Amino acid sequence: MSKDVQLLIIDDDPDYVEGIESTLTKAGYKVDVAYNPKAGFEALESKKYDLLLLDIMMGRGAEGVMVARKINKDPVLREIPVLIITGIREQMAFLFPGQPVHPRFLPTDELLEKPVDPDLLLEKVSQLLILAAEKKSDK
Amino acid sequence: MEKTELGSTTAKILVIDDEEIVRESCTRILQSQDYSIKTADNGEMGLKILDEFHPDLVLVDLKMPGMSGFEVLEEIYAYDATVVPIVITGYATVDSAVEAMKKGTFDFIPKPFQPDELRLVVRRGLERRKLVLETIALRKEKEMLREHFAAIVSHELKSPLGAVQQNLYALADDLEEILTEEQREKVTRLQNRIKELVTLINTWLRVISVDINKIKEQFEIVDINPLAQQALETVERQAVRKDITLTSTFEEKALQINADKGTILEAIVNLLTNSIKYTKMGGKVDLETKGDQSQVLIIVTDNGIGIDEEEITNIFTDFYRGKNIPDSERSSGVGLSITKRIIEAHDGSIRVESELGQGSKFTIMLPLAR
Repeated sequence: MSKDVQLLIIDDDPDYVEGIESTLTKAGYKVDVAYNPKAGFEALESKKYDLLLLDIMMGRGAEGVMVARKINKDPVLREIPVLIITGIREQMAFLFPGQPVHPRFLPTDELLEKPVDPDLLLEKVSQLLILAAEKKSDK
Repeated sequence: MEKTELGSTTAKILVIDDEEIVRESCTRILQSQDYSIKTADNGEMGLKILDEFHPDLVLVDLKMPGMSGFEVLEEIYAYDATVVPIVITGYATVDSAVEAMKKGTFDFIPKPFQPDELRLVVRRGLERRKLVLETIALRKEKEMLREHFAAIVSHELKSPLGAVQQNLYALADDLEEILTEEQREKVTRLQNRIKELVTLINTWLRVISVDINKIKEQFEIVDINPLAQQALETVERQAVRKDITLTSTFEEKALQINADKGTILEAIVNLLTNSIKYTKMGGKVDLETKGDQSQVLIIVTDNGIGIDEEEITNIFTDFYRGKNIPDSERSSGVGLSITKRIIEAHDGSIRVESELGQGSKFTIMLPLAR
């Protein structure tokens, strides 16, 4: 299952990234990392990824939301399953200064809260990959 | 329209009265107090001046030809509800003054009046205005503080903790083969305490961030049963860890309420989490939904340690922690008070029945959506 599956993490906290990257690599996935939205898009354009792990709070605000929306608009990129890993809770999402953000408005497949139990992380990743594969075969 | 002016230290007073002698004497009496005074001989003129002058207080004659005092009062209220209205009445119109006060007028002064009487009434009115403006300013400040605090704490405090925890998980995994039993235990302690810290931060954030008034803006028709099901799924892991059996009985027909989905879900999850926390290993927690003609009942029952009769009235207060906490549990004491606030914001109520050593039953009552 994990052979040659390519994951991309977009998250601005290198320490945090180290934590989940380690868990994912151990499980057999190939993992690339981008520490900001710009690098993230460059990566997405350069390679074909099977799943994206996306952080919401980056830079000065909820830049992750912008990334998610942009991906959703792109016909190719929108096929990639997105797992949002966030430090903010769903219900508090609307407290972003200036911006009402709620997972309801986010085109995301799944949402997990930091820090995330490694088993739960692997479970969700695997679930999303299976779902995406099923969708593809239905087409 | 925002018209509160905090900057000016000189109080501004507008007198609307058709009698010249009243306008003159008011001006004379109040001028000595270092107030800024403007007058108008009819309602329309008065309202025009109101818009430009932004008075703190308005003296309005109830009986005027043309636009009536009552109309003027209504217009003032619509323009700026913080402006203090005081009616001037003749003896024959004291009833009208009372009428006006019931509608929001702050005070009244009957003609003829002594200078000191007028000064007193005006002074009281201005004190009131000052308090109102201060309250508005404080509320705004509190709101801003709260929003920023939540955003800052959310990111700045939780990020490092999240990174530490995540790396701890990864490290424990890497070292699994070579750690001794004792060392493994130490790692588990580390992980647990960090977990608690993260939970604590989330809980405190919740206390600060629940703006009850805003919740009503998000109301929509919500189906209770699927929400209850979701709540069960959310706490499943916790229950399994303590080997607690979760059962449920849902009302067959659909139960709908006007609500904010997120917070109602949170309320139910809070009750379930609470029951799981205060129930020993191997115990049972049950979730039931019921409905009658007018309301929905959501009931969480457990066979846990129960609550002392003396403590029952206190459990919904902020930060209250029961005396009977099972050893391994830690509690910040805010879950139930938040739950109560959420339910009350939905025009519902919550009650608890409990017996020490036997268990507890929490019942949420919410009005059915029409």
